Parts: sequence; C-alpha cells; structure tokens
Amino acid sequence: MPKPKISTDWMAGCAGCHMSLLDIDERIIEIAGLADIRATPITDLKEPDEDGVAVGVLEGAVNNSSNEEVAHRMRKRCKVLVALGDCAVFGGVPAMRNLFEIEDALRRAYVETESTDGEGKIPDDPELASMTRVRALHEVVPVDVFVPGCPPDADTIYYVLSELAQGRMPEIKGDKLHWH
Amino acid sequence: MVVLTIDGKQLEVPEGTTVLRAAQQAGIHVPTLCDHPELTPYGGCRLCLVEVEGARTLQPSCTLPASSGMVVHTSTDKVRTARKFVLTLLFSERNHFCPFCEVSGEDCDLQQAAYGEDMDHWPLQPNWEPQPVDASHPFILMDQNRCILCRRCVRACAELTGAFTLGFEERGARSALVADYGLPLGESTCLSCGMCVQVCPTGALVDKRSAYLGQKSVLEHNQTICLECSMGCGIDVLSRNDQVVRIEGNWEAPVNDGVLCVNGRYLSLDDNRDRLQSPLVRKDGQLVPASWDEALDAAAAGLKPLIGKNGSGVAAAASTRLTAESLYLFKELFAGKMGSALVTSTEQGAATAAAARLAESLGKPFEAKFDALKNADCIVLVGAELNEQNPVAGLITRRLRATGAKLVIIDQGDNSLSELADSALLVKEGSLSDLIAGLTAAVVKQGLSRLETALDGRKALSAATVKTGISADAFLTTARMIAGASQPVIVFGQNLAEPAVLLDLAAATSAGIVSLKGGANSLAASQLGLDQPFTVNGQQAVYLALGDEDPTESLVKSLAAAPFLVVQASHKSALTEKADVVLPVEAWVERQGSFFSADGRLQQAVSSVSLPEAARDSQAVLVELAARMDIPLDAGGWQEAFNRRISPVTIY
Repeated sequence: MPKPKISTDWMAGCAGCHMSLLDIDERIIEIAGLADIRATPITDLKEPDEDGVAVGVLEGAVNNSSNEEVAHRMRKRCKVLVALGDCAVFGGVPAMRNLFEIEDALRRAYVETESTDGEGKIPDDPELASMTRVRALHEVVPVDVFVPGCPPDADTIYYVLSELAQGRMPEIKGDKLHWH
Repeated sequence: MVVLTIDGKQLEVPEGTTVLRAAQQAGIHVPTLCDHPELTPYGGCRLCLVEVEGARTLQPSCTLPASSGMVVHTSTDKVRTARKFVLTLLFSERNHFCPFCEVSGEDCDLQQAAYGEDMDHWPLQPNWEPQPVDASHPFILMDQNRCILCRRCVRACAELTGAFTLGFEERGARSALVADYGLPLGESTCLSCGMCVQVCPTGALVDKRSAYLGQKSVLEHNQTICLECSMGCGIDVLSRNDQVVRIEGNWEAPVNDGVLCVNGRYLSLDDNRDRLQSPLVRKDGQLVPASWDEALDAAAAGLKPLIGKNGSGVAAAASTRLTAESLYLFKELFAGKMGSALVTSTEQGAATAAAARLAESLGKPFEAKFDALKNADCIVLVGAELNEQNPVAGLITRRLRATGAKLVIIDQGDNSLSELADSALLVKEGSLSDLIAGLTAAVVKQGLSRLETALDGRKALSAATVKTGISADAFLTTARMIAGASQPVIVFGQNLAEPAVLLDLAAATSAGIVSLKGGANSLAASQLGLDQPFTVNGQQAVYLALGDEDPTESLVKSLAAAPFLVVQASHKSALTEKADVVLPVEAWVERQGSFFSADGRLQQAVSSVSLPEAARDSQAVLVELAARMDIPLDAGGWQEAFNRRISPVTIY
C-alpha cells in the first residue's frame, strides 16, 4: 500500500508554525517513513498534488483573496484538513487588524510608519491580491483538525502528523491543548 | 441539614448551602467564572450549569440552594454541551485572543475553563467591535476588550470595600464597566485598593506594575503581614528573581480576609528612596564608606563611655516598624544594660501612652478586638482619620455602612469620612472629651443607659452644649443612634488625647472600644514602655534604630544638636546625612520576626526577598554592637517582656 501523502502551505502567518514543525528534529525522518511529504513551503513542490493528498496542513489566517485561493485549493485536494496554529484556528495576531478599517491599517503600514520616507504610497498594482477581513480558516472552508498554539509545541505537531500518517484522528486535549 | 446527591455521592450540607458549594466541599469540580468564594453568588456567567433531576432546564449551581432529595449531575453530555455553548458565546463577544493578553496562561480563568471543556477552536468568531481601554489610573489598567461582564469587580468594590465606584451601564452586549457613571478610573472616586484586580478572572483589570512580569505559578509566594499600619493585614508577596513583583491580599488572613488598601498593595512598593550601599563613618567631618568592623567599632567607641550615665548618656529611639525581637533587644541594650533613662520609639507613645496608663490604672484591658469592628452595627469614629492611617478599617467601615450599620464621626476639625456619616459631630471649640461627655449625658438623659449611673444627664448635657457649641438635638439624635445599636463599637485614633473619657460612653451603650494605635508594632513598643517623648536635652549621644521608617521633619530638627549620632537605617535620609555612624539594615520586605497588631494578635513577618549585600538584620546589628561594648545580648525569652505591663488589649 502506498504511503499517505501529506502537503502543507501557509497563508497570513509568521512561518513560526512551520519552524515548530521543523522542531520535531530527527522525528521528521520517522514521519517521512510513515508518509510521503509532498508540497510544503520547505520542499521543492509548490502545490499539493492535483490527484489529492491524504492530509493537508495550513498555517496562518485568511487575510486576502490569495489566501482564499490557497485555502480552497488545499480543501479541494486533501481528505483531512488541519488548521495549524492560533492564526489558522482563531485568526491570531493578524486578526488584530480587524479592530481597524483596512484603509487605516494600510495607511499606517505604508505611509505613516516612522521608517517611511516622504514617498510612502499604498501599493495599488491590480495584480496584487485584494485584502479582506482576517478570518480563521474554518470561516472559509470546513476544518477537520484544530491544533491551536502560538506556535503549537513540536511534540504536539509530531503527535498530530504521526497519528494522521497512520490513519488515526488525533485528539487535541490535556497537555496538548494550549492557545498561546 | 439537607441531604442531596451529586454525581452519585450522597452529601449532607447545612441549609442555605448552594449546590456549587456543596459540590466543591465534596471535591467535585464545577467550572465557574463569575463565582468567587468571598463574593455574593451572582449567576451571571452560566458556566456552572448542572442537571437537576426533575427540573425542566439546566440550573446555575452557584445560585441554586441545595434541598433535600435533590439529585444533581455535573458532567452529563447535556451539561457539557451547554458549557461549551456558554464559552462559545463568551469568546464571540469581545477580543479574547490569548497571545497578546497579560494573563494568558494559568492566571486566566476563562482560558482554563475553555481547556477544561477541550475547546480547540471558537465555533463563533469575535464581533471585532473595539472596546475602550482606560489607562488613566496610576496602578490599574482597565481593558473592556477582555471583560466577560461577570461583575466580580463590581461586587468586590461594593461588598468587600464599600467603595461602590465600579458599576455597569447599558444592557446585553453593550454592557460596559464604568467608574462613577462614566468617569475615567483615575479621576473617579476609586480608593485604589485594587480588590477589583485581585478578583478579575480575565485580563480586563490588570495591575500595571506587575504586567507581563510572570504568571502566579512562576512567581514565588510569601504569606506575611503588611507593616504599613497597626492592623496587621495578611498579604501574599509575589516575587521573582529576588524582586517583589506584586502584593495581593491573603484570603486566609484573620484580620483582613483578603482585603487590602492602597497603602498595603501599592504604596508600600512605591519607594523611590535610595538604599544605603555600605556602612558609613564620619572622618574629618566627612561621612565616608566604611567596613562593618570600622563602623561598629566607631559606634561602640562613642557609646561605651556613656554606660550608666543617666541624663548625660545616650538617648535612643526605635521605629515601631521593627520586629518585637528587635524592639526587645533595643530596650535591653539601651535601658537595661546601658542604663539610659531615655529609651523610646519614634512614635513617642503618641498613639499608645494614654491607653496604656488607663489599662494600668484599671488593672485590666479595656480594648476590644478588631472582630468587634467587623461585626458592628454602629461605628463611632473618635479622632480617627481612617483613610490615611488605617485604610482597611476604613474599607470595613464603608462596607458595614452599606449593609445598614450607622456611622458616627466625632472629631476635631474635619474628617474625610464625614460625608458618609449618619451623624458627624465636629468640634470647633472645646475638646473631644467635652463632646464625648456630652454624648454620654445625652444617653443618660434619654434613659437609654444600660448601666445605673449617678450622672445628671440634663445638667451634663447642657454643660456640653455650651462648651462645644453643638446643639442638644444633635447630641440626643446621635446618642439614640449609638444606644439603639445592638453591637456598637467605638474606634479611636490619635486625635483623642485621653481615652479614659470613652469608658462611660462605652459602659452606657455596651460598646466595644477599639484603638488603632500607630505603626505596625505600636503595641509592642508600648508594652516595652518605649512610649515617652523624645528629646536630646543634655544627652551625649543619640542612637536611632529607624529601619525603613522615613524620619519626620521634627525628629530631624530635634537632632540638630546631637553631639554623637548613630543611625541604623535601610535608606538614605536627612538623618543619615547628619549621622556620625550609619549602619545599613533591612527594609520591610526583607524583615523577619514578630509583630503585635493593634488588637493584640501576635503574627510573624517573613522575609520575601534576601537582604542586600550591604545590609544586615536590625537584631544582628544590635547584638554585634553590644558585643563590641562587652555586653552580652540575646533575644531569648523576649515574649515575657511583653507581658510585664498590663496591656490595653488582651494579647492573643
């Protein structure tokens, strides 16, 4: 029987959850033994296989139209979707933006910051993704497994991946459950 | 007693016990948020819902009285689903993102409750309505974004401290915590006691000083007593890496039951004075750093020739913030071994000498315990400025008043609590004694005295109205207020020179008499006889054991003429600058030893952080100094010294 395929991607996050994934250290070899690690931000493949993967893992909140595409594509191509980390689960730090108008946030970021010179300008290239309210992943697509934490512990991530690679659904509770 | 069953356990509890308390007593965990053991049940958060057999709906266990035959289930699927739903709604209302919250972790009851229900996400997203943040208060940050509307703070502000500053405006999701109908907290009637922060289950009310310095579980806790006044309130000193982070009221403490005031919680840590960095000795007119050996030798050299020279020897005064052991050693060394006649405290008996003399003349204690105050239904404040001197007694007074107790204020000039008083008799002419005599007369004249008396009430009353300029009507109404109470208490402070005049009023109304005294060990100093006025007057040397007390201007002035001055202190001051020898000692958080509260409770202070390298303990300094004058000194048997004199209060 072929090994189950795992693919990951990131949206509006800080990459910290993927750093925590790498923090499982040599156990990644064990995971690679159990599963076929496909497209991830840290491998060469850029998109999850078109014919589908068993497990899709997404880090980060949904912050613009590009994130929406990533979320929908992963949902379509994976059997079990994992929301990894506080941003994917709750909205996290990026969601602080929701307390302001998007225009105000953009002006602050591109025009008013102390490091901006007089030429500060809000990017308006039509190719750019359009910004939306920041949402948790489950507000955009159905999520099967929630792994909160900022970031989740490496031990928790290892547990989640190894359970899913062996066809079991992980249970996030007790020591494995924290939101910060 | 009622018998009920919770989760299959049969329990017997007193009538009136809530289902929640019954479950807790049996070790059954029911999650709660708005509940607090020291506050009236409120039933606001609905997290404690339980299933009661025969009841149509789930019931909030915190407000449900246990009744006989009740069968309760606390963790059925129905209950757990409801709890998760309650939490889901709470998280959806405001900004409860943990990563950027001060209390995220074990300090947050909301987060812990969610973990308890295995919540791995929020089914409903927050509504993203920004709420106001109020940082106007010097010690407290109020962040409405974190508020779950549980009203613990509002209940604490009313029930524990009687301040009634906090309240809620609007309804439902628009509900907002407000101070005084919408003033910034820093400009409100807030008494800065910090009880609201101590009971807040989330990060809505945050202690500014200790924010982000660590969760309770990583901080070191030391249960000790506050030394800011004579009440002896129990405190929990939270520290980390040998630095005090924050002070909280100790809920188990007998005097204050967890309640603290601004002095104990905040001002005691708000100390900007410089610590002494080493012993100092005056050489060629200059005060210069010296070793402990040099400094102690210099002090001993100046003092030893004065042994036995009463009148032209050494005048010594000690702070009433020092331990009973230190005060005992101080007395033994200077009065006992050196034979000096002028050994006293920096308080100079101002708050204790008259009461001590009165107890001696009566041959028995006449003062009541603080419990008399805590249970009073009429409080008569005589010459006592509670807001400044004993704020916790002030908080107790305020909260009793709110439950119907009468407050009578008798003072000279004004009193900061007089606007709360049911009757305030403030003398402009005459004395407090005349006023109190007038009150006693008014009790007798109206036939309300509980004791037979030969006093001619009518005559004495008219004499008092003439002397004080207060109307007979005011005397009569106030007298009825006190005499009509079943547990009146008279609380007197330093403005009353002679407490003897209170005895007749107390006897006529069966009132208890409570004295507030002065510093933390005021009673101990009084019991040792360290209560005479201080004057240099011809003495050849002055020894001051100040500890961390800030010397008063008059003390500094009175020492201008001291020929040889030794100061034992923790911080630099105008006095250490004048001294010939300065010996650095512990500050209050480092102090270890015994304290007698004003009502005679013997309690232990434990040190919460270590002594700075330069400092030594006051007791050790006294013993070492004595040794250099070939005087053996030890604190063994110090307890007996406190029983030699009849105390105005029975010592516990």
